[in-house]
Amino acid sequence: MELLVEGVSHAYGALPVLEGIDLAVRPGEILSLIGPSGSGKSTLLGIMGGLLRPYAGRVSTRGRPPAGCLNPLTYVFQDFALLPWRSVAGNVSLALDHHRLPAGERRERVADALARMGLADFAAAFPRQLSGGMRQRVGIARALVVRPAVLLLDEPLSALDAQTRDLLTEEFLAIWQRERTTAVHVTHNLGEALRLADRIAVLSRRPGRVREILPVDVPREERSAAARAGRIAELHAHLWALLRDEARAADLELAEPARGGR
Amino acid sequence: MARRHAFSVFLASLGVLLAAASACAEAVSVAALRLSSSGPLFIAQDRGHFAAEGLEVTFRFFTAAQPVAVAVTTGDADFGVTGLTAGFYNLAGKGALRIVAAQSADVPGFHLSAYLATPRAWDAGLRSLADFPGRSVGITQTGSTFHYMIGLLARKEGFALARVRLVPLQSIPNMVSAFKGGQVDGLILPSSVALPMIEAGEGRLLGWVGDATPWQLGALFTSGRTVADRRPLVARFVRAYARGAAEYHAAFNQRDAAGRPVAGEGYAALMPILEKYTQQPAARLATGLPWVDPAGRLDVGDIRDQVAWWQAQKMVDPAVDAAAILDLGFVEGHRNVPR
Amino acid sequence: MSAPEARPVPFRGGGFVRRPRRLVSLSALFGLVLAWQAASWSGLANPLFLPAPAMVAAALWELARSGALAQHLLASLGRVAGGWLIGTGLGLAAGLAVGIFATARAAGMPLVSALFPIPKIAVLPLFILWFGIGEPSKVATIAAGVFFPTVIAAAGGVDAVPRSLVRMGQSFGLPAWAIVWRIVVPGALPSVLAGFRITVAIAVILVVAAEMIGADTGLGAFVLMAGNLMRTDQLLAGVVVLSLVGLSAAGLVSLAERLLLRWR
Ligand SMILES: Nc1ncnc2c1ncn2[C@@H]1O[C@H](COP(=O)(O)OP(=O)(O)OP(=O)(O)O)[C@@H](O)[C@H]1O
Ligand SMILES: [Mg+2]
Repeated sequence: MELLVEGVSHAYGALPVLEGIDLAVRPGEILSLIGPSGSGKSTLLGIMGGLLRPYAGRVSTRGRPPAGCLNPLTYVFQDFALLPWRSVAGNVSLALDHHRLPAGERRERVADALARMGLADFAAAFPRQLSGGMRQRVGIARALVVRPAVLLLDEPLSALDAQTRDLLTEEFLAIWQRERTTAVHVTHNLGEALRLADRIAVLSRRPGRVREILPVDVPREERSAAARAGRIAELHAHLWALLRDEARAADLELAEPARGGR
Repeated sequence: MARRHAFSVFLASLGVLLAAASACAEAVSVAALRLSSSGPLFIAQDRGHFAAEGLEVTFRFFTAAQPVAVAVTTGDADFGVTGLTAGFYNLAGKGALRIVAAQSADVPGFHLSAYLATPRAWDAGLRSLADFPGRSVGITQTGSTFHYMIGLLARKEGFALARVRLVPLQSIPNMVSAFKGGQVDGLILPSSVALPMIEAGEGRLLGWVGDATPWQLGALFTSGRTVADRRPLVARFVRAYARGAAEYHAAFNQRDAAGRPVAGEGYAALMPILEKYTQQPAARLATGLPWVDPAGRLDVGDIRDQVAWWQAQKMVDPAVDAAAILDLGFVEGHRNVPR
Repeated sequence: MSAPEARPVPFRGGGFVRRPRRLVSLSALFGLVLAWQAASWSGLANPLFLPAPAMVAAALWELARSGALAQHLLASLGRVAGGWLIGTGLGLAAGLAVGIFATARAAGMPLVSALFPIPKIAVLPLFILWFGIGEPSKVATIAAGVFFPTVIAAAGGVDAVPRSLVRMGQSFGLPAWAIVWRIVVPGALPSVLAGFRITVAIAVILVVAAEMIGADTGLGAFVLMAGNLMRTDQLLAGVVVLSLVGLSAAGLVSLAERLLLRWR
């Protein structure tokens, strides 16, 4: 499914956050969204999924969701957003509970999602018993269980340590290869964007505008290969150059007092 | 040097003065309620009978009988004057209190406490004192004088007290509002409260406690310790109290040949004293002046009856000995003394 | 220059740890009773003012033997249970509404703040006018006392549910009722159960007050009667039973916490 963002602007009270965003997320691609802190990435993602009403512009989808899709636009949250009183299986099935499904299919879907994220043995565990990485696996399993058309991931790995992050990135890619789910992926980590994305959209500092959309012109399978390291480094340097000035300016801005809290 | 000498002379003379003052007036505190039934006390105070006995009396006023007994038990007051309740007997029975003279009594012809029926209960058949079984009656508390008066009535009319539903309501205002709201069928109320209600048609009079079941309502008492250690003081106090009682009786307890109340000797002079201490207007006091024995003599048999009745109700400790809580040595000629 | 002498690092940690010391709790209680009994034996405590534990125990035994204890206990428990359930049911409904709907909060919170501090005992006569002198006014008094803290606990519990969880629910298309029932209510549960701890104690306190008026059975009526009759041994026996009732109620709440909040 395709996701179209047309002329979206947004402001929190008097604070303009996004200005004239046009983006077309192509079917089956991973679009990474980078930009300095406060540039409105999370806001944009919220608008894309229908959780925030933009103050101007519109978001639409085109195309058919895959068979068995229960929730076309599905989030994976930075802070996992797990219900602490539900077991792993319970958290995953939360996304299904309000749908009319045969009990067998419900069980199957949950079992399948858990198995794909390597959680089969932890079905009965409570979130507090899990490590951060395991928790985000639950978050991803909960997203997979509804067979989403578009995945919206807001810094899904930023709360995890570097090793866990790398492991989970690879696993996510392996799953993604099979389904080719359209995904928008917000990150601060350029390496992560360069590993996952088909294209990388760079937002300017607040109010966020699209500064550049950069295709990653290296096939995913080759991105860790030594032979393509040079090209990847080039892209990295280019992105960093784009971001650095914005980030420095944004950083100074952050030090300003009297900003609206979240 | 001279200055210092003068000062010590001053101090010495002051000491002599103080000693003289304390020799001629012993401080005594009395716990009481602001009711006309304590009239003898107020008269003895204002007419100087206590002072004449060398007593400097101060009053501590309470609003319920129980605290009066407790104040004497704890030594916060030397004497107490109030109605006799089950709680009083339990305290007294543990050696804490001794009855030494009478306060008021319900006697025939004196309209102190009325039996009232709500108009609805009246219409439903509560028309005489024999009709109480199967009805509800408001009282202040379990063990109160109201409780006892219903018990007396049950005894007189020959019905089981258990057949009356007693509703404890804590205070007379609560009793009145429950009565007006129709939440109880009947009440016993002091005449000062009952008469206006009868006049307003809010209650129907069924009779007077004094006519139906005369009894010794209240007493003057002190602590067991005071009787043991300061017997002469108690004697002086009771003497002064009895003088007040005689004056009270002469002024307020007189009846004409037809049994109607008439103003007795000293009525005009003593009424302002009652007004002052009870903080009630004379007109209101006049309708319900209780009977007080002119010499402070107790109905001793009745007090024994009370104790026995409460014990039968399991509300007074069976170990309480009625004879032991009375000290009959301070007043001559107590009535109805069992042999 | 010679190497400086090695000095061991002094230990500075430890302490400030919560550890159950059941034996200490029990012996503190036992010690208190023992000291009390000793004071009575030695004549230090006047039995009129403070009956010895043995006398209280005897009064308690007498109450139990005569069947009066069961009668009073049942009457009070009935009122406590009825009043607590009604107050809690209404309080939870109002508290959730206040926590969830801005309008309900704007309307309800000032009312709750204004009415909560009113001593329910003071308005008991009003309740008697409204509900009569029998059970309804007593149950209503307890329900009113339980209602307000429950509203506050429930509303506070809703506030404590992270908004991110609600947004998560919305992002999966959960209908409003499912968000309330599966996310808001379980999230508010710890605060609600903490509120229960307080409200069961309030219910026990208020049953005594409510039984002051127009009750001839019930622990409150019994304690009050013992006070009126100056039967201090019976009074303390009643107080012991009341505190046991409160203790058991708190125990039930603890049990509920252990069962319902296992995930913590
Ligand atoms: N609910 C809100 N009310 C007011 N201001 C908000 C709110 N949410 C975000 N903002 C402000 O809007 C701006 C953009 O926020 P947003 O979270 O979209 O940025 P971001 O790019 O995701 O930042 P980060 O990289 O730190 O996550 C920030 O300045 C933020 O303080
Ligand atoms: Mg963000």
